[in-house]
Amino acid sequence: MEKDKIMIDYKHRQAGHCESGATSNLFNFYGVEMSEPMAFGIGNGLYFSFLPFLKLQYAPMISFRNLPNVVFHRSMKYLGVDATVIKKFKEPKESMTALDQNLEKGIPTGMQVGVFNLTFFPPEYRMHYNMHNLVAFGKEGNDYWVSDTVMELPQRISSEDLQRVRYAKGAFAPKGKMYWINTIPKDMDIKAAVEKGIKKTVYEMIKIPFPLIGVKGIHWLAKDLKKWPKKHGNETASFYLGQIIRMSEDFGTGGAGFRYIYGAFLKETGEKFNNPDLLAASKMMGNAANRWREFTYLGARNCKNRSKPEEDYGKLSDMLHEIADMEKEVYVKLDKIKI
Amino acid sequence: MEEESNPVYKNQAYGQYRELLYSYGTDGKFEKNVGFHGEADRVTLQQAWDLFNDRIEAARQKVKSGKASPILYYMEKTLVTPMDLSMHAGIMIWRVKRHLKPKVFSRLSGKTLKKYAEAFNITLDQLKNVD
Repeated sequence: MEKDKIMIDYKHRQAGHCESGATSNLFNFYGVEMSEPMAFGIGNGLYFSFLPFLKLQYAPMISFRNLPNVVFHRSMKYLGVDATVIKKFKEPKESMTALDQNLEKGIPTGMQVGVFNLTFFPPEYRMHYNMHNLVAFGKEGNDYWVSDTVMELPQRISSEDLQRVRYAKGAFAPKGKMYWINTIPKDMDIKAAVEKGIKKTVYEMIKIPFPLIGVKGIHWLAKDLKKWPKKHGNETASFYLGQIIRMSEDFGTGGAGFRYIYGAFLKETGEKFNNPDLLAASKMMGNAANRWREFTYLGARNCKNRSKPEEDYGKLSDMLHEIADMEKEVYVKLDKIKI
Repeated sequence: MEEESNPVYKNQAYGQYRELLYSYGTDGKFEKNVGFHGEADRVTLQQAWDLFNDRIEAARQKVKSGKASPILYYMEKTLVTPMDLSMHAGIMIWRVKRHLKPKVFSRLSGKTLKKYAEAFNITLDQLKNVD
């Protein structure tokens, strides 16, 4: 039957980061050209937090990204777009009917999901990570068509599986959260939005008076890292170090813990508004990102060989301090810039 | 076609799928490329899965020798902590921890077992017998 099939003409583009990719794709669906770094920058994707008292997969939690749904929510707010976010549903079935209704109306709908039971995902990435995002844009029989921006192509997922991933449990449980755009105003003030976005990111990275978040968090991690081999033994220390690298380089970061994407955002805005200061900041960010990448290479070598641990950890710790200082310079510079 | 141009990665267990990666060159350009994961990612992923698999194997041995209940094995297999499992199954955490003992597990009611089976997404038979 024809009625069983709904397909919205939604263009899937692969992106580095799941949520900013989904946001930029949604903008493009409504006819506004927006690149992934732009959505990421305006929506404050950049972040750093080190939470040693929370464990994720047997290792301390380190996050290079903001809380789930922040990118979508803030970019909509700063650009003045009318969007809807439903945070949770009472019943899983209700959330699926809401999704069906949206698809019937022709609205591509974003959802927060957990990765562990995601059937089309490569098995080695299926860990308990609940901050992933998909956009559903079609239904065929019992299957949904979803655009997962970290995959190259749109994927099919059955209704039961989709419901399971939407109600994954654990830290940052999605609880069936879904979001979509209603209408986009014709005269969006991108300049003001960029300014707000940068201001907020600078605040979150250097001005929050809490030692585990932002640049201070990187320093804290560097201090802690040095003590790991003595405190936990070589094996565990190396596993914890692996966690930093997995978090910064694995799926959905675009490399170096989103620093490349943010640098690309600064470059794009610098070119758009003809601002040499932003271009200079983008160069500094690019250098910091390259330094992150060197850190991961060195760290991965340690994970592989586990040789001369003390010397290695000392060096890695110094490197992290250096990175933190490099990043701080960028944010201090951004703080003074007038766009 | 592109897979063949990357023969190094073809026989690796991890990092076989391609994602969009950004990079920054000395000329001040940010570039986007679709490619396989680098060495660092594969090493750390391998490291993580080595640890998980060790834990799963240890749990299986424990269950086989009667030192733990199958719940421990499935808990390790799905990479959850007792806290997560308690949330999944809707059973209080101290009860979950108690149910890890084989003696307590053997006395569990069908209703509780069903809750666990649903949380792990397996059948009751699978829950009772570890392969």
